[in-house]
Amino acid sequence: MPTSTPNLESAVEIAHVSYQYPPTGFDAKQSNALVDINLTIEQGSKLGILGPNGGGKSTLIKLILGLLKPESGSIRVFGHSPTRARELGLIGYLPQRIESDLAWPISVHQVVSLGLACKRKPWEKLSQHDHASIDRALALLQISDLRDRPIGALSGGQLQRAMIARSIASIPKLLVLDEPMVGVDISGQQRFGSLIETLRNELDLTIIIVTHDMRAIAAVADRVACLSRTLHFHDSPDGLTPAVLAQVFAHDVAGVFGELHIDAHAADECEDPSHQQAHKHTHTCDHDSHDHKAHENGHSKGDQL
Amino acid sequence: MKALDLIFDPSITPALIAALVISLMGAALSVFVVLKRLAFIGQGVSHAAFGGVGIAIILGVHGVTTQGQIGQLLIVVAFSILAALWIAALTRVQRGRTDTAIGVVLSASMALGFVLFTISESRHAHDAAGHAGHAHQDEHHVIEEVLFGNILNTNWTNASIAIAVSIAILALVWFVRRRLIFWAFDEPVCDAFGINTKRTTDLFMVILAIAVVMAMQIAGVVLAAAMLVLPGAAALNLSAKLTTVFIYSIIIGVTGALIGMLIGLQWSYPLGPTIVLTQSVMYLATLVSKSARVRLRS
Repeated sequence: MPTSTPNLESAVEIAHVSYQYPPTGFDAKQSNALVDINLTIEQGSKLGILGPNGGGKSTLIKLILGLLKPESGSIRVFGHSPTRARELGLIGYLPQRIESDLAWPISVHQVVSLGLACKRKPWEKLSQHDHASIDRALALLQISDLRDRPIGALSGGQLQRAMIARSIASIPKLLVLDEPMVGVDISGQQRFGSLIETLRNELDLTIIIVTHDMRAIAAVADRVACLSRTLHFHDSPDGLTPAVLAQVFAHDVAGVFGELHIDAHAADECEDPSHQQAHKHTHTCDHDSHDHKAHENGHSKGDQL
Repeated sequence: MKALDLIFDPSITPALIAALVISLMGAALSVFVVLKRLAFIGQGVSHAAFGGVGIAIILGVHGVTTQGQIGQLLIVVAFSILAALWIAALTRVQRGRTDTAIGVVLSASMALGFVLFTISESRHAHDAAGHAGHAHQDEHHVIEEVLFGNILNTNWTNASIAIAVSIAILALVWFVRRRLIFWAFDEPVCDAFGINTKRTTDLFMVILAIAVVMAMQIAGVVLAAAMLVLPGAAALNLSAKLTTVFIYSIIIGVTGALIGMLIGLQWSYPLGPTIVLTQSVMYLATLVSKSARVRLRS
């Protein structure tokens, strides 16, 4: 699968990182979100982070982005602290849910240029170079023809492309995609995989893709880290056999992926747990992970106003 | 026409200028307020300002002399800024429950204001038994002005302050406009882009608090927030382009204030509430025009 040899210098180094969320009340149990994570992400690699809901994927992402501070251990992003790396514009980020109000009077081009515009002085306009990177981002995501469209008029897939274009327009070195393939079918996953490959090669990116869908991993990633509170596996996706999965996820895996028949059908049904919350399937998918997920969501909203 | 005579009357000029300048500033801010869904924060802050007025009165800093006016304004602004930052901080602690934060701050400040007003009243009754009745009436008048505004009280001192503050706020907003737009549009991602969204939130809270206190001069505690919501809400019904929305919002805000003043002067209606009513009618008109356009298209 990998077509170019990754640079062996590390993009992200995570050493002995643990994190636990503060308790939500006197009677709430404190649970460890992450325990002793060690992970080195090589430059130019496409790392898939796979794990059950509540396994700490989003927490790990927030730690890498510097939005949370680890309780212990250290994280370096291209040799900087995560906060510094973020300030230097080294990190591009696509959140799990797009929380923007889509009724905004703002065009695709404006959305994509937001990050770059903020870097200019108030009296400066976007430079030639900025315009070039915006055009390139739009072209890479194949949405050049939508540039003047209001974002409210986009389809879900187009909107996601616009948001990815925004995160690469400022030319980061690390791109973090949180669950970008929820609800995407197999052919869509293949297309997404080749898009990720193109972005990596064109922009010399290191890419982290978070997903709970193990089928998707093979389509997009050349490295895999399995995360369920602690890191169980970090290697090429080829080594990710059902046996390995069963071993590393232990009891969790039955909860998330159902019985361990990794056929397309079972995986399909497991693809989007948020839908199941609404429909209440009798399937074994995702049984006790909702509270964890709610827990995580609660925190992700914590900084909002 | 009575209104036209009055509006060119030199004694009205400072009130007119203050009303137009403050509505212009409020209209520009209102686009952010509506898009970031802060309408209720504006409401919370303006009611909280009532507590500030109570403090100013208990400290004996009244708007009788120029010094007293400036002193009262400073106390009220300081208190409102604290209230706004308090709402922002409580929202963070309460994990995004802005309504709870506003509910707490708004009621606490209103309660504080009323208690202080009452203490000040009874103090007057004790101090000078002979003038008690007069002082009592005076303070009730003050309360009414604080609640619903009395723009006709505006003298050149108030008007100059309003002009200076409005220009300062508009300049500041222009300076940080791109960051404000990103923050208002997508706060979580804005954070990931290395923009300090906590500081941006606090900055906008301070701007909002000052703007609300300015708008209070026109429309009072109860109606001030309307001037920071209506023009933007109306403009958003008219255009899908951000720059155009800002321009429409300013046009609606300023013409609404002007027409409101003319109507109020003509029929001797209270000016602040009339301005707010005029802007509300303009908002309704934009809503009708929007749904008409939608219906025409289909």
